[in-house]
Amino acid sequence: MTEKTENTSNADCGPECSAVMERLWEFLDGELGSDDATALQAHLALCAKCYPLYSFEKTFLDALAACKCETCAPHELRSKVVSALRTAGFSPVQPQVSQRQ
Amino acid sequence: MAPGPGPAPEERLEYDRSFEKEALPWLDDVYRFALSLTRNEADADDVVQETYLRAYRSWHTFERGSDARRWLFTICRNAFLRTRERARHQVDVEDGDVEALAAHVEQTDGTRSGDDRLLARLDLGPALSQALARLAEPFRSAVELVDVEDQSYEAASEILGVPIGTVRSRLFRGRRLLQNMLLTYARDAGFASAKPRPDDAAPSPT
Repeated sequence: MTEKTENTSNADCGPECSAVMERLWEFLDGELGSDDATALQAHLALCAKCYPLYSFEKTFLDALAACKCETCAPHELRSKVVSALRTAGFSPVQPQVSQRQ
Repeated sequence: MAPGPGPAPEERLEYDRSFEKEALPWLDDVYRFALSLTRNEADADDVVQETYLRAYRSWHTFERGSDARRWLFTICRNAFLRTRERARHQVDVEDGDVEALAAHVEQTDGTRSGDDRLLARLDLGPALSQALARLAEPFRSAVELVDVEDQSYEAASEILGVPIGTVRSRLFRGRRLLQNMLLTYARDAGFASAKPRPDDAAPSPT
């Protein structure tokens, strides 16, 4: 598949806004180079139309990142994994090796 | 095989110790990723066990100091694909389907402009978890890796075995799909003005 950009946009903004907001997700993901990130940050500081969109997308991505905490491996699975590893020759040093610190 | 044929006891001890210290702590993360791939707890259990067995046997190939979680995710993805091959069941949609689905996303995209404010009124956590569970492949893997597991585009590219541009495309479209699902959730929750607005669809990707 060819690389395509489908990022946030703000129909009420001008060309400069569109160009900057096109890379909003990459900015929020920390994937922009420092010059581009600085330019985008400067734009957000000045543009009353784009900032709410930035704020929304940041809230959305923060909520997505928070989904991580809700699922942990079942305790039985930890035991099964360690048991399977033992049959392959693994000798854990820690008695509570299956417990994540 | 583990540390190689006939390893000295101290080598074996170091092999196991480093595996225990660097690989096992990521069990929760590997499980989450496996669950996102299989969408089934029993299958995820199998994939996780297979992942750790393969990882243990290949631990001598792991570059010390590099990202063990990323390495485990790659093994997990491969273990999952192998189980799917065995089941003769294709879970990833083909690129043609991806394009068709993406076109549908763009056509029905209602999350821009004023509708964004509606999502801000939702309790995003539970709604997002449900939406993420329903998100189709290959979008879900990209979103899980980058947004939930905090992997870089480059790491996700390596784990998924696709170019970075494809990761970016799947990620962005996956996010749009999630936002559309949240809009539906908002409508169901009684926010009547959360209507899909096809006319506001994003410009077509170039």
